[in-house]
Amino acid sequence: MSAEDTVKVDAIVVGGGPGGLAAALTMAQGGLEVILVERGEYAGSKNVGGLFYGTILNQLIPDAFKQAPIERTVSKRSITYLGDGTHMSLTFGADAWSQPPYNNTYVVHRAQFDRWLASQVEEAGATLLEGMVVDGLIYEGEGAGRKAVGVQLRGDEAFYADVIVLADGANCLVSEKVREELAMPGGKIKQEYAVGVKEIISLPKETIEARFNLKDNEGVAYDFLGVPFEGLIGGGFIYTAKDSIHLGSVARIESLVESGFTPSGLNDRFKQHPAVSRLIDGGELLEYSGHMLPEGGYDAIGSLTANGVMIVGDAAGLLNMSLYKEGTNHAMESGMYAGQAAVAAKEKKDYSRSGLALYEEKLAEGIALKDVKKYKDLPDILTSAPELLSLYPKKINQLMVDYFTVNAEPKAVTQKAAMKNFMKDMSKIKLLRNAFKARKLM
Amino acid sequence: MGKILELTVEDKLYTTKYETDSRSHIKVNGDLCRTCSSKPCLRFCSGDVYKINPSEPDQVTVNYENCLECGTCRHGCPFNAIDWQYPDGAMGVKYRYG
Ligand SMILES: Cc1cc2nc3c(=O)[nH]c(=O)nc-3n(C[C@H](O)[C@H](O)[C@H](O)COP(=O)(O)OP(=O)(O)OC[C@H]3O[C@@H](n4cnc5c(N)ncnc54)[C@H](O)[C@@H]3O)c2cc1C
Ligand code: SF4
Ligand code: SF4
Repeated sequence: MSAEDTVKVDAIVVGGGPGGLAAALTMAQGGLEVILVERGEYAGSKNVGGLFYGTILNQLIPDAFKQAPIERTVSKRSITYLGDGTHMSLTFGADAWSQPPYNNTYVVHRAQFDRWLASQVEEAGATLLEGMVVDGLIYEGEGAGRKAVGVQLRGDEAFYADVIVLADGANCLVSEKVREELAMPGGKIKQEYAVGVKEIISLPKETIEARFNLKDNEGVAYDFLGVPFEGLIGGGFIYTAKDSIHLGSVARIESLVESGFTPSGLNDRFKQHPAVSRLIDGGELLEYSGHMLPEGGYDAIGSLTANGVMIVGDAAGLLNMSLYKEGTNHAMESGMYAGQAAVAAKEKKDYSRSGLALYEEKLAEGIALKDVKKYKDLPDILTSAPELLSLYPKKINQLMVDYFTVNAEPKAVTQKAAMKNFMKDMSKIKLLRNAFKARKLM
Repeated sequence: MGKILELTVEDKLYTTKYETDSRSHIKVNGDLCRTCSSKPCLRFCSGDVYKINPSEPDQVTVNYENCLECGTCRHGCPFNAIDWQYPDGAMGVKYRYG
């Protein structure tokens, strides 16, 4: 092929999820010539999620929430413990969450939302190459000077660029390969993954609003733990879309393998709990999906910059796996910083690792990495003190049962018995130690 | 209560849309499977892709057409016997909701 035929641009982005799209948008807005390669037929066709946190979105596209395909905005959140035939919830709502920008918390169908975001990125001037797989990167030089100069498309030619942003998500074959090929230092621990499956269940709009006590486009985000997930590091969720419900379960892969449940079977256990099944009664399944989440936390994050390369989003391990399950905004924030670093690198004409150092500097100053760091002990705590997810909530649940049971005993007797039952099997020292650990869950 | 609670994984997968490739993006090293007695792939896969081969019970069959591309098998197989690659561009699972 002659030199004129070779495609060479400023930047190539691998992956059209929130991370890659934020990077491409930032670079296009900064005047760079950008190509984004997405292996799905359209951006979003491979992506699974539930809530979309819009802080960075609304920053990159002012008032994006007014045009984006948002199903419902979240006006109420809750955490529910599911016991054997019992349930115990803590619910919180705020009037302000029903006002723009709706606490930046949106229920979306990611296949539709990411596709819309990609159209905005295209409008900003980036070129989308959908339905194309990147098989790996092309390099020049040896040793410490080795740098990435292009991407190899499967069954097609190579495209060249000064900088490549890897945003290939949780199941990131390209990032894994590049880490090895460029000897990028890994994190303190190996990345750990959870698998999530989800069912989209259709219900009439009015039924959803009546069942969840919602007005207009208000929605709920309910999280669940307890008996269906016993022995697992995992939990379930229900998010309300316009005329459907997202119902899913997430569990750490090793714990799932040990339990012997299948992902689909686990979701059935969750779905069939009486406190859950009544919420979806009469619904019909529209789609079943599966996807991984990186849950190793802060200690699993390795170096994210090499000569000509930056890694963002889930591929970088930037998910906050606490109850917030924040990945979308973290992916967008890291994508935005990588984009800014690429724009600055172009001005200096230096795309080496040090030329791109601004990316990790900005990341260190930003919110995503700080939040992931705050929960850095979480993976460890959940493995070392499984009581936090099972025994203690179960005990508190039983306390409620004992406390509220209406019988012929005077209240003083009922309450004393309830407390006695509560303290049974509970080591006080362990309780104290775990209370200390539990603070880190919040 | 209604049918939604009784769906099997096959019923569920029937609602998911795919562009099915003519060749498999998953290869399993049968020599390693022979030594694997617990066969966790029969359970951890979100798409119910791996099944016992009825004519060779120490081997598994791969229904790659059902693959949801979650990637779990790349981490869950204790012997690293699964060579999983992305399907070709625009092939494989195609979520409408996601
Ligand atoms: C069940 C579930 C529930 C979740 N709930 C929430 C939630 O409530 N809130 C929240 O904030 N986050 C949630 N998340 C996490 C969130 O979905 C991710 O953190 C987020 O999507 C990460 O964005 P990303 O751009 O890094 O990766 P992705 O969104 O996964 O995008 C990666 C893209 O790269 C493409 N790609 C990969 N390899 C190649 C290649 N070789 N060539 C071309 N293209 C390629 C893929 O097709 C995909 O489009 C949830 C995740 C799951 C699985
Ligand atoms: S878990 Fe791996 S080694 Fe074991 S049977 Fe399945 S594919 Fe083969
Ligand atoms: S990627 Fe997921 S759905 Fe596909 S075979 Fe592996 S575990 Fe099963």
